[in-house]
Formats: sequence, structure tokens, C-alpha cells
Amino acid sequence: MGLLRYTIYRLLQAIPVLIGISIITFVLANLAPGDPVRLMLQGQQADEELIRTIEQRYGLDQPLHVRYWNYMTGLVQGDLGYSIHRRRPVSDLMLERAGPTLLLVLSAYLFAIVTAIPLGIIAAKRRNEPTDHISRIVALIGVSTPSFWIGIMLIIVFAVRLGVLPSAGLVYPWQPPEAAGHGSYLEHWTETIRHLILPMIALGTLQMATLMRVERTQMIESLQEEYVKLARAYGVPERTILRKHAFRSAQLPIITIIGLNLSTALGGAVLVETVFAINGIGRLFVEAIQQLDYQLIMGITMVLGFMFVVGVVITDISYAYIDPRVTYGERE
Amino acid sequence: MSSEPLLRVENLKTQFFTETGTVRAVDGISFEVYEGEIVGLVGESGAGKSVASMSLLRLVESPGEIVGGTIEYKGETIFDLEEGPDGELREHPDMLSESEMRERIRGREIAVIFQDPMESLNPVFTVGGQLREFIEINRELPKDEAKAEAVRMLREVGIPDPEDRYEEYPHQFSGGMRQRVLIAMALACEPNLIIADEPTTALDVTVEGQILDLVDDLQDRYDTSFIWVTHDMGVVAEICDRVNVMYLGEVVEQAPVDELFYDTKHPYTSALLDSMPRPDRTVDELEPIEGVMPEAINPPSGCRFHPRCPDAREVCTRVHPENLEVDQAEGYPHRAACVKHDVFDVGYDESVPLEKGDEAETRVGETGSDENVDSTVEEGQASTDGGKANEANQTNRSPNRDGGESRP
Repeated sequence: MGLLRYTIYRLLQAIPVLIGISIITFVLANLAPGDPVRLMLQGQQADEELIRTIEQRYGLDQPLHVRYWNYMTGLVQGDLGYSIHRRRPVSDLMLERAGPTLLLVLSAYLFAIVTAIPLGIIAAKRRNEPTDHISRIVALIGVSTPSFWIGIMLIIVFAVRLGVLPSAGLVYPWQPPEAAGHGSYLEHWTETIRHLILPMIALGTLQMATLMRVERTQMIESLQEEYVKLARAYGVPERTILRKHAFRSAQLPIITIIGLNLSTALGGAVLVETVFAINGIGRLFVEAIQQLDYQLIMGITMVLGFMFVVGVVITDISYAYIDPRVTYGERE
Repeated sequence: MSSEPLLRVENLKTQFFTETGTVRAVDGISFEVYEGEIVGLVGESGAGKSVASMSLLRLVESPGEIVGGTIEYKGETIFDLEEGPDGELREHPDMLSESEMRERIRGREIAVIFQDPMESLNPVFTVGGQLREFIEINRELPKDEAKAEAVRMLREVGIPDPEDRYEEYPHQFSGGMRQRVLIAMALACEPNLIIADEPTTALDVTVEGQILDLVDDLQDRYDTSFIWVTHDMGVVAEICDRVNVMYLGEVVEQAPVDELFYDTKHPYTSALLDSMPRPDRTVDELEPIEGVMPEAINPPSGCRFHPRCPDAREVCTRVHPENLEVDQAEGYPHRAACVKHDVFDVGYDESVPLEKGDEAETRVGETGSDENVDSTVEEGQASTDGGKANEANQTNRSPNRDGGESRP
């Protein structure tokens, strides 16, 4: 079966990439100034003996390359390590925090796609008319404004001034309503959505702006293709041409961008989670860096790196789904 | 001939409004297409053939626009401008609306076959799906019947295993096979007129032959009329019943095909025929037409072909010839836009022949001043002298330069 073999092949190709990521992160984290043991003791007076014992216990007294080797052998066996600061396995910590981050990133993408594609098509159809100019300005602002700033502005306007939406935290839809003090699922999920709106817009605006511009360019190109002219000459209504004939081939670059921007979105999530006080992986990452929690930093980086690779593979697979000219590396 | 024509085009003008000026891509052409005939539209690249054919469907893209003339199809008005009481041009009330064009004319009555079969099919949909969609739209058949019809048409145009090929994508078809699919699309909609815009230009010669045979055969059976756009006189000879020769947006000669070949009335048509590669002639015997076709943005004064015409005389730079009837053949008029024919009576015989070298200079001299015909001629002659002086200068200069180089 072509698809399965292709996926496995592409994932195997990702191994060197992941090794590269691990080396860079490991070296960078360890080169950062500060000493995790002293940070852990939080300024308490401690004798050298105690510090040495702690270092020994976590293997911090060994040379860098030995520690790296130990870490990697653990990783291959599925062991992401043990957070020295929180004294819990890294995988547990990440699983705990993965839900909110996934919820945030996915809803931001949903927001971006649902808005960007129609707007891009309209801009392409009304090329160089006022609608197009407005969309160009909106896109420019969207691309050039940092997500945390958008977040802060949204909080000021909608949470502080208007008071219509909450400014912090998330309500997790997978929890029972009672846990959040809600009487029914309807109320619970309404609250979920209300909490999600602002961070979703803050994180999704950059993606929306990028996608909108690409969609416009692609649609303009695709509307000038011979097969679109042919469809017109055969009396195909203009809206069918837009929705079907020109649309489908224009979506390939969109998929690429969604796949590649996954890392940007996860990076943005770090900031947006901090602004909106969401307990996701992004915030965990910020805390890990502040505490020089080596194992946690490594764990999060490796997982994010892996997700990026998966994103690229999914992109390639969907390419072949949309474009019949692309095959899974097999001859017919 | 006795019956009404299927399509009547009169004085059609299509212009492109570009930043550098107005391009008169089609500048007042007239022709008819009768039922069951193949009418050729011939000319060099840039003569306005494709723009003319897209104008017939009212599918000229911005910045292009049809600015004048009449197009009538089966008594319906595809395009007509009339002068209102205020002197402004306005659309005739009988003119079909955009949605009527789409629903009643495009595909259903007039179908097209495009030049490039590689680009004309959508790469992300199956060949059969695309064919079926056009059949559904233009013949209002339900999906399954349209599919059966699509498969039947694929078989009809000589595609083997049509049921299997129906599900395949365009990239799995060769160029010739794709062109067959496009022909199937055109025929499947059961139009009365098919515009074939250089449909064999992108194909190699053996495939071209097959396609021409196929069209000939299908045309006999379906009795569809064709407008065959091409620059290839060989194709014209093979397939067309009557021919319109276009030069710079104008029809310069119009005749039944045999008449055009054996009793050519316009120097441009002769030039086209002489420049045609043939097995019985060597490259040395080929006579390419002098120069390139001028831009339609600023056409030469008088007869547009005069700068390249071997028969050009002084009068040709002044008089712009209409496409008048100069002869009759097979019950059709033989029209030619050349003042050397007696019907024009503008003094061609008495006029001084233009020499070719001079002509090139004349064109340079007259740019931008073609409103005043008299001064154009004077200016042309003046610059002719200048041109000669220039030439003399150059011949003088080159030995000097050679000397300069060898001196050290």
C-alpha cells in the first residue's frame, strides 16, 4: 500500500532532523548561564556536599556528551526524562498541558482558514477594487503585528472596556461540567467558546493574513488558466468556476503554508498562552527555561520538533490527495 | 448560399485599452458562416484571429472590449451597438444579456476548441468528469446519462477503452489524446458552430493529420459548422471550404478555398502561400514575407500591408482599401482589400512603385503623424533621403574603423 509505505519512509527521513534538533537544544540549554540546582534550592543556603549529592542523583556531574548519550538512549525507549524541578516525569507534565495548547492552535487555524479563504477569493475576484485594497491593508497589519500585542489589545477592548469576554484561562470541553462549576454541557461549552475567542484571534491573525494573501495570488493565477477560459466558453456559471474549477488547484500552496506554519503557530502559542494565562505547553516551556529544567526543555523541544515533521508529512500526503499528478513516490 | 447564414459578423471591432495606447486587435472585420461549412480564419501571429473568435462568444477579457459592429447568430443578436438619440453608442435592446449568452449560446450553440490541449484541461479533475460537466450544463441531462454520453463521445473521437480512460486525469493523456478529448467536449454539447482556435498547432505533424481526418469525418456526420483559426495554409487547403485571410485586425481577402489558392487576389495571401514550406521546395526557394507585422497599436497608414508588400505603390500609402468584391466563384463573392484591382479606381496603375528599402524608412518617418495623409507622404520621402544618407555614412565609417584597429 503506497500511502503507508510513503508515510513510514517520510517519518524515517525525519530521524536525522530530530537528532539535529536534539543536539542543538541540548548544547544551547546547557550553555545558558545559571545552575539548575541552585535555582531549585531557590536561594536557600546549601553546603557543597548537598549540591554535589543532588547533582549526582540527576547525573549532572557527568560530562556533557555522556549526559547527552544517556538522554538519547532514554528517548529511544520512549522515556522523555524526569523534571528535576517538578520531580515528575516530563511525559506526564506534557500530557497534562497538551490539551489546552492543541485546543488553542487548532481553533486558531480553524479561524484562520475559515476567514482567509473566502476573503482571499473575494480579493482575487475583485482585484484592484476597494475590497481588494482593504484586504491588502488588513493582511499587512495582520502579518506585521505580534500576536502577544494583538492579545493585549483584545483584552483591553473586549475584557476590560466592554467586559463581554473573559481575559484569562480556558474552560476545557473534555472535563465534566461540574468540575468547572457549570450546570449543563451547553453552559459548559458556551463558556469554552467564550474563553477561546480572544486567544484564538490573537494566535490566528498572522495565519489568516498569510493565508489570505496566498489564496488571493493563487486564485488570480488560477482564474487566468486556459481551463478556466474553457469552462467560461462552455457556459459554466462564474460561481461554479470560482468554487470548483479555479479553486481546487489553487489550494496546494495553502496546504504547504498551513503545514509549514505549524511551528510558527506553536511558537506563537507560547506568547499567547502567557498573555491569556492558559496552562498549556507554551507556558510550561517558558517556566522550564526560567527554571533551567534541562529535561523539560529537551522534552518539549523534541516533541514540538516531531510535530513539525509530522506536519510536513501530512502536507505531502494531502498534496497527493488533491493533485493527481503527485504520487507517493511510486511508478504507475 | 441561398439560405440565411448561421453566423453573420459585420464590421466587428475589438480593442484593448492598454497603458501605451489603444490596440485595435480586430478592426472592422466582416464574414459569414453558413450551415455545415468550415470557414478558415488565417493570418500570422498577432493578426487578431484569436481575439476575433473570442469576441464571437463575448469572452474578451479586460482590458479588451468589443467596441463596435454586429454579431448575429441564427437571428439572435450576440452583439450590436446602435447610436442613441443623443449620439452615444448603446447596446441594442435585442442584444442577448450576459446570462443569456452563458445559458443559450456558450457551449450549447457555439463551442470552442482551444489551441493548447496541455493547458485546456483542468489537471485536478478527471477527464471524464470535465466532459460530463459540460454535457450536463449544455444538454441538461441527468448525471448518469451525461456520463454515458461522455463515454460514448470519448469512443467517438477514437479514445481506446473509454470507460477506463473516463476516470483518468489529464496528465495521463498524450497531447493528441487530450486534443481528442477537447474535440469530444465540443461535439458532445451538440453545438451548431465550433470555433477551433489553432487546435493542431501544438501537436506534431502525424497527430495533426489524424486530428484533421477526425474532424473531417465528424463534421460530415454531425454537419456542424466550423470556424477554423490557423496560420497554416496547408491546414487551410486540407480542411476549409471558405477562407478569410486576416492581416493586422482586418480581413484582407475572402474566397472559397480553391479560388484563394489558384486565383489569389491579395499580395499578402500570395506572400503567405509563397512562404509555406513544401516538400518540393528547398529552403532557398522559400520566400518569407519581408519584415514583421507592425503593432496594431499604431498601424501603418493607407493599406496596412504596404510596408511589406512587393506590389506597393505610392497610392497604397494614402488609400485604405475596403474589402470589396473583385470576383465571383462557386456562387460566393471573392473579396480582396487591395487597390490594384479595378473596382477601387484610385489610380494604382499611374502611381509610382515603392522600392522596398525606401518603404522601411517611410514607416519610421510616418509614426505619430498618420492623421494627415499628405504630409505623411512628404515626410516619408524626406526621411527616405535621410535613410540613404545614413546608409552611406555607415559604409564610409566601417573601413575607417578597421583602419583604426589595425593602426597600432
